[in-house]
Amino acid sequence: MYVKKGNNIKMCHNHDSLKSNNKDLQEIEKQLSRRNFLTKTSMGLGAIALGSLLNAENAFASVKGNNIDVTKADALLKSYNKNRLGLPHHLPKAKRIVYLFQSGGPSQLDMWDYKPKLKNMFGQDLPDSVRQGQRLTAMSAEQTAFPMAPSIFNFKQHGESGAWASELLPYTSEVVDDLCFIKSMQTDQINHDPAITFMQTGNQLPGRPSIGAWLSYGFGSDNENLPTFITLITKNNGGQPLYSRLWGNGFLPTEHQGVQFRSGKDPVLYLSNPENYDGHDRRKMLDYLGQLNDLQYDAYGDPEINARMTQYEMAFRMQTSVPEVTDMSDEPDYIFDLYGKDSRDPGTYAANCLMARKLLEKGVKFVQLYHQGWDQHVGCPGGLKHQNKLTDQANAALIKDLKQRGMLEDTLVVWGGEFGRTVYSQGELTETNYGRDHHPKAFTMWMAGAGVKPGHLHGQTDDFGYNVEKDPVHVHDFHATLMHLFGVDHERLIFKHQGRRYRLTDVHGKVVKDILS
Amino acid sequence: MSCSGPKLPKLVEQAYEKLPKKVDFNQDIKPILSDKCFICHGPDKANVKAALQLHLPELAFAALESSGKFAIKPGNSNKSQLVHRILSDDPDIVMPQPESHLKLSDHEKALLIKWIDQGAKYDEHWAFIAPQNPQIPEVKLKEKQANPIDNFILAKLKTQNLLPSEKANKEILLRRLSFDLTGLPPSLSDIESFMNDHSPNAYEKQVDRLLASPHFAEQMTLDWMDLSRYADTHGYTVDRYRDVSPYRDWVIEAFDKNMPYDKFIHWQMAGDMMKNPTKEQILATTFNRLHPQNQEGGIIDEEFRSEYVADRTNLVGEGFLGLTIACAKCHDHKYDPISQKNYYELYSFFNNVNESGQISFDSSMPVPNMLLPKQEQEEFITYINGLIKNKEKAIDNIIISESKKAGQWLESQSYQKLNLKTWPSKLIAKVDFLNGSLNNALNPSEKGKMKRQHSPKQFPKIVNGFSDRGLELDGDAWLDLDRIGVFKRNQAFSIGLRIKIPEALENGVIFHKNIGTRIYNYRGYHLALKENKLEAMLAHFWPDNAIVEISTKEIPKNKWLQLTMTYDGSSKAEGLKIYLDGEELGTKINVDNLYKDIIYKQSNEPGLQIGARWRGKGIGGAVVDDILVFDKTLTPLEVVQISDVKQLQLIINKSAEELTLAEKEMLKEYYVSNYSKTYRSSMAELAAIRKTQVDSLERIQEIMVMKEMREPRETFLLELGQYNQYGERVYPNTPENILSFPDSLEKNRLGLAKWLTSKANPLTARVAVNRYWKNIFGTGIVRTVEDFGNQGELPTHPELLDWLAIQFIKSNWNVKNLHKLIVMSNTYQQSSYTSDVFLERDKTNRFLARGPSKRLSGEMLRNNVLAASGLLNRKIGGKSVKPYQPKGLWKINGSTYKEDKGEKLYRKSMYTIWKRSVPHPTIATFDAPDRSFCSVRRQETNTPLQALVMMNDPTYVEASRVLGYNMMSYSDPKAGISDVFKRLTGRSIKNEELNLLVDLQLHEFKKFKSKEYKTEGWLNTGEFRISDEYSKAMVAANAVVASTIMNSDAVITKR
Repeated sequence: MYVKKGNNIKMCHNHDSLKSNNKDLQEIEKQLSRRNFLTKTSMGLGAIALGSLLNAENAFASVKGNNIDVTKADALLKSYNKNRLGLPHHLPKAKRIVYLFQSGGPSQLDMWDYKPKLKNMFGQDLPDSVRQGQRLTAMSAEQTAFPMAPSIFNFKQHGESGAWASELLPYTSEVVDDLCFIKSMQTDQINHDPAITFMQTGNQLPGRPSIGAWLSYGFGSDNENLPTFITLITKNNGGQPLYSRLWGNGFLPTEHQGVQFRSGKDPVLYLSNPENYDGHDRRKMLDYLGQLNDLQYDAYGDPEINARMTQYEMAFRMQTSVPEVTDMSDEPDYIFDLYGKDSRDPGTYAANCLMARKLLEKGVKFVQLYHQGWDQHVGCPGGLKHQNKLTDQANAALIKDLKQRGMLEDTLVVWGGEFGRTVYSQGELTETNYGRDHHPKAFTMWMAGAGVKPGHLHGQTDDFGYNVEKDPVHVHDFHATLMHLFGVDHERLIFKHQGRRYRLTDVHGKVVKDILS
Repeated sequence: MSCSGPKLPKLVEQAYEKLPKKVDFNQDIKPILSDKCFICHGPDKANVKAALQLHLPELAFAALESSGKFAIKPGNSNKSQLVHRILSDDPDIVMPQPESHLKLSDHEKALLIKWIDQGAKYDEHWAFIAPQNPQIPEVKLKEKQANPIDNFILAKLKTQNLLPSEKANKEILLRRLSFDLTGLPPSLSDIESFMNDHSPNAYEKQVDRLLASPHFAEQMTLDWMDLSRYADTHGYTVDRYRDVSPYRDWVIEAFDKNMPYDKFIHWQMAGDMMKNPTKEQILATTFNRLHPQNQEGGIIDEEFRSEYVADRTNLVGEGFLGLTIACAKCHDHKYDPISQKNYYELYSFFNNVNESGQISFDSSMPVPNMLLPKQEQEEFITYINGLIKNKEKAIDNIIISESKKAGQWLESQSYQKLNLKTWPSKLIAKVDFLNGSLNNALNPSEKGKMKRQHSPKQFPKIVNGFSDRGLELDGDAWLDLDRIGVFKRNQAFSIGLRIKIPEALENGVIFHKNIGTRIYNYRGYHLALKENKLEAMLAHFWPDNAIVEISTKEIPKNKWLQLTMTYDGSSKAEGLKIYLDGEELGTKINVDNLYKDIIYKQSNEPGLQIGARWRGKGIGGAVVDDILVFDKTLTPLEVVQISDVKQLQLIINKSAEELTLAEKEMLKEYYVSNYSKTYRSSMAELAAIRKTQVDSLERIQEIMVMKEMREPRETFLLELGQYNQYGERVYPNTPENILSFPDSLEKNRLGLAKWLTSKANPLTARVAVNRYWKNIFGTGIVRTVEDFGNQGELPTHPELLDWLAIQFIKSNWNVKNLHKLIVMSNTYQQSSYTSDVFLERDKTNRFLARGPSKRLSGEMLRNNVLAASGLLNRKIGGKSVKPYQPKGLWKINGSTYKEDKGEKLYRKSMYTIWKRSVPHPTIATFDAPDRSFCSVRRQETNTPLQALVMMNDPTYVEASRVLGYNMMSYSDPKAGISDVFKRLTGRSIKNEELNLLVDLQLHEFKKFKSKEYKTEGWLNTGEFRISDEYSKAMVAANAVVASTIMNSDAVITKR
């Protein structure tokens, strides 16, 4: 192991060398004493070497369970070492999150939002009193009629909570008592690009940081050898295109962007050394590099030299830790059986769910899965069968798996897409087939785990699944709530950019208290 | 401490005591007011709380509406409510309100109080006052003064008690200079000649050499590519490739020729509006079309069109004026004196482009665009256009001469013999629904079929037609006539049908040959009911590359009509006619600019479709009958024939004397068209030439440019920035608080361009010199390069900024001169050694007591290893290229990256393809912006992912191998290592460094020797192959040495 010498000794004790290289952060850092900095901060991927410094473990150890004595909670919060941003603002429930993003807009009407009265309205035109002049996409706006399409799938109630689920979801049906359904989600956007961008960044246009980037900025990492924010995408599934700004850092420092883990030899880009040049070889090379840089430090006195070497060391550790964490071979058969056959095939949704669990276990703060293909404009029944076959079992398995490991208590699981789908058929409606267009005014998401009421149902739509009748939850509210679960007041986690204070929820958002446990 | 003041809390009082004698509004007060107060009490009048605005003295000093008291009473802090509010402990009273999560520090409170005590004097915002030529400060350290820049810097250093540094070592300096000016490292011979040049102007010679290099122009262009949001793909979700490299190459050329910066802006903003614009002037305006454009099928056209206009407006703010104008899109600016109305006045300059918000779902170039023929293509087009003109003239003459014969024909009343039982000639399809058939009655193997979007099984509803049976349409399904009706724009054709339109139907397509509607921008043709009128369209790319005309009259409903559209293959609106019941309809021509073909050139070429279309409104409830397709232009008489043969019968029954003038004309035209052999053969020749012309134009590259609509579009303030919520009408104008728009300037983009660079404009020159300063020193004189407004940072050296701006203007906006001025300063040439004193007193080097140092950009890092290894391909310009990239990255966006081969792998980094949705990791990992919008300042981070790129990206591994291989030519390994070190770092190796690397080389060699398989990756990554003459172990060991150097600070950082 390369032993730092000479000026590099300084590196271990001088916080300067550990600082973010980002100029915008330096102001914040300046205000912190060296000691505070060392004990209270971690700076995301850029300075992951700082490790888990939030003292979160202690607090969590004592607040696990649902009944927290308020006075005790206050005391706990006070005993928290707040980090450089003053986080957490209040006691967090969630320590990490896995966000199962279903790209394209899954049909709430065929999966969760049971509308029995629609059966008798098959083929009838959507009443104007329901549509209320709402904007439609350019794909179906010119249809002469909007015939209503009741789901062809059978619905049943499940669990003690009696949550409705269609036959498309045999596995998730088994865990509904762990889930909190929000059937009253609403978004402002009706097309994919603006809607996904909105759901992931709180704004419909490119340029803002994604949720994961905000959390990385707020908290940094709990594992010094892995990125804070990791993205996994189902391989070869097709569908609406994705783009890396969805997990981008926007105007936050680049180190907070999501790192895409891919299946195959190089889970992280350029992780592998040149063929057959192994970790020992690289270690040796880095030792020489360190010494070379020491000489440069002697000549220039620039702390950036040490900061960069720290990143090389981090990269080196990632070369070991990433293959370790992405290696599934140590998983027992019953785990693969739980997640389903696909989970043995790296890059599938099921395998990504299993991978997500492993990453969370290792202290990754935010794992975001993307699964494309939920855009059922045509052939909705067939498309949904296929999609659920790929995802249902793995979703349920992830819940069960986290639960059996005791992780569900402080892991937030989120499932949902960027919008819902219309009750009317896009294109021709027949007894066995229909299409559904995008629908922003009502859709279903579910959350589970840390701080969220299990077996709970929030919000309600009308008999057409078209308008929210009770307890609407806007995307901004969802973001505010998500932040809340992490101990963050969404109005106070801000970043100043171009003279303006920005936050994930822009100038909106209310915490949905009703879903909090 | 003022005696009249309120009692201050202890900490505030302590802070008060420490304040300077005189509090300065711009320096001390405005930043507080802006940052902490303006959000509720600033320029955004719609969101002002308690009717109090603090950004102007007359508003701030006015009596408060609620109490009649005063927020600010100049000279009297006790009577100033502001003071009581900021000092209060009561959460209901204290300002800023607790909910805002904004807080004032004791120091800030003290400043505000002292400022009020001193009379609450307001000053104009520094950046909105045009720069005044400042006095160059006198300073003592004469030897440190190379030019006036140094005087300003030294004067400031003195106030900070800092001393300037020594000159940087020559090698280090040359490397710094080479990267800053060209993005490339110095070559060994560059280094050698500089080291051996002991003349007093040795350095200046290098500066001049580099400024004259075309690579200087490339480096300037790379900076401009961030600003102009240059990318090779459209952005948004679908994000397909479109080639705009000719624009980028124009920028390179402009910098290479040292085009004055004002002219450079004028051309890009409004080159198309100049007198007799050249191709280059128009090409420059691609600048304003580089914003992302959306291909997603469900979007509303106008929503995104307005987004594009907004993008251009925002760029003027951030790129040229250094203002966050974009903030005023939805409401008055919260911090700067820019109203929402100001925003839309600026917006109106850019709102007159005949473009679409939804661009075509293929690789067609959005409109408006310009053809970029190569020289031989240009010559050919001129030639063939000449041929067409001649032929058309000849035909005009033929018509005149043949008219005589027609006259004889008329006189002899031969027309009475016309056989009305047959159809006009060249009828190629007839669908009359006899017995319910949808097929072509002339050729029953051509089958018609009912289709509907995504629902192939459709059944026709056959009802009573005009004669016998007809087809009733439901508005969703259409009759698809398969390959019938596929016409190019050079082909003459006519289509007629009978139709009964229900009373209530106001819109819907009657017949067409398109795929959907806007999704392919109406490529093809159509006849449609549009607000009860008829619209005829031929389009390559709606709205600009098309012919669109609309009938002046509304058409009757609920009765049988016969409609005919005829077209003569001329690509002119004049040649496109519509007839109702045999009578030509008057039309208003909206667009007459068709210059590319109307077919798709794909396997599923659509044909004629009746009654509805994919994702488009059809004619539900209408009945159609007697669809006729001709592959010629029907003459008016023939239109009468197919419309109502009895009508024609009446005409031909007349004697020659009884015929009206119009009837005579119709008959003559009919005669020439049908009986004149010369006419017909000439028309056939014309058709053939037109075909050649049309086909040859198809291959010519297009590029998006700016083009003003004939009549400017009306612009309205958009409430909340919503595309369809119109507020008051606005007209072109500029924000009066920055600089009023003088009457002398044109109220259009050209005028705006001149306004930007007018001498009185306080911002453009400052913003430009500041950006160039930032490129060289790492930080701008105003750190917030993009924001010179109230929320931006103040300049560290305001006089220097002004002096530079004035020099820049005086030099006729000479970019090369400006760069020379900056790099010739002693300040630039200093060593960047960071002493403890500097670390403590000026860690970020804002005062420049030392030279700049900075991590190389992703582009420079890659250029460096390509140049050092000799792999670099120095070709300038051309299409972007695809160097090494890990497989499958583009898959998430539904596309495939196909790596280039050979020398394209080694182009300068600025030519690497820029896909907005999936940026190239070799470059993007090093903080490149995604270029979805204007970006003038890159982030600077330091991450492990960057280390992984440098260690393992094939680009770097391959270059290491090539360098390692080159080392083999040295018999002395030390010499080899020294050489590679110098190539990579630009400097001579030090002994300790050399010893270390020799040691490493030996170690690696031993290892590779005993385990040769370990050389695999080092020797075989990348395309470049080395010969077998040398020991694999040695080459690999050398490669590791080269890679180690590559990853060291001496390479990564420009010192």
